[in-house]
Amino acid sequence: MAGGAAHRERIWDPALRVFHWTLAVLVIANWLLGKIGPSDMTLHFWLGYGVIALLVFRLVWGFVGPATARFTRFVRGPRAVVSYAREMIHPHPTYWPGHSPVGALAVVAMLGVLALQVTTGLFADPDDYINVGPLASTVSSETSRMALRWHNRGADLILILVLLHWAVILFYRLWKREDLVRPMIDGWKWVRRR
Amino acid sequence: MIPVKAIALAAALALPTLAAAQDAKDAVEARHGFMKMLGINMGQLAGMAKGEIAYDEAAATLAAANIVALTQYDAPALFVEGTSSEDMPESEALPAIWENPDDFRASFVALREAAAGSPDAVKGGQGNLGPVLQKLGGACKNCHDDYRKDD
Repeated sequence: MAGGAAHRERIWDPALRVFHWTLAVLVIANWLLGKIGPSDMTLHFWLGYGVIALLVFRLVWGFVGPATARFTRFVRGPRAVVSYAREMIHPHPTYWPGHSPVGALAVVAMLGVLALQVTTGLFADPDDYINVGPLASTVSSETSRMALRWHNRGADLILILVLLHWAVILFYRLWKREDLVRPMIDGWKWVRRR
Repeated sequence: MIPVKAIALAAALALPTLAAAQDAKDAVEARHGFMKMLGINMGQLAGMAKGEIAYDEAAATLAAANIVALTQYDAPALFVEGTSSEDMPESEALPAIWENPDDFRASFVALREAAAGSPDAVKGGQGNLGPVLQKLGGACKNCHDDYRKDD
């Protein structure tokens, strides 16, 4: 493998780390509130507004934040994705300094699905007169019904993406002997320039 | 067999099926009308609670009394066999209704119980609407979650 020796580097800035863990807590809490929460969903709505704020932050940070946070830096073409995917299956760390080209796909998918989820939530109307999305009255009842349907399906998509996220982290930890969780806590990761 | 007789026989055999199909259509239409009436009265209360409609004690009491009257109707009886969302495109009633008839009926009784006393509870000011709506809307949601298609 090309490149020099691995060294420790601070790859995740504090704002991005706070963003990540806050988003994780809000998404898990809101998923559970949606599935098994009380029939008064006021808290679910407020946490959803929190997710909107986080997504807006991440979008802005993706353009003006530090290098590892920028979309232009980590979203790569198909060649880079395939090349990384080939390397990824081997049982040793990749020492990648940030989101890998494959990881970038997961980042984009997660942010995209969450953006759809909060949008459909704003327009959803479950016909119970208490948990009506704040923008549902601005669209037809067919549209708000469709928003509700996609909001419910979106919950399944989010579950799949989160489980995939955890599975890949375990794969890195157990098969590749690379810890991805610690860097997201303290920011420091073993990396190798190439 | 003479063709005319065959046709008559076929028609006679088909009659019960046609009648059943009409019954099924009627039941679904009645259900939709029932939900619409519930919705109109719930909408009145919700509109006043949100301040979109000016609070009017008499109107609120009447809407709540309408809901009480509607929940006295035996609506679960309208969910006859062969009228699930898998049987008819216009139906939104999940097959789970017929798999859990007791629980479905209990969900409707829960709405009836939520409505009980509401005509008095909505009196006295806009602030009294919230708790009533929470109870009624919660009963709507619980049943929709389990038994209404795609939600």
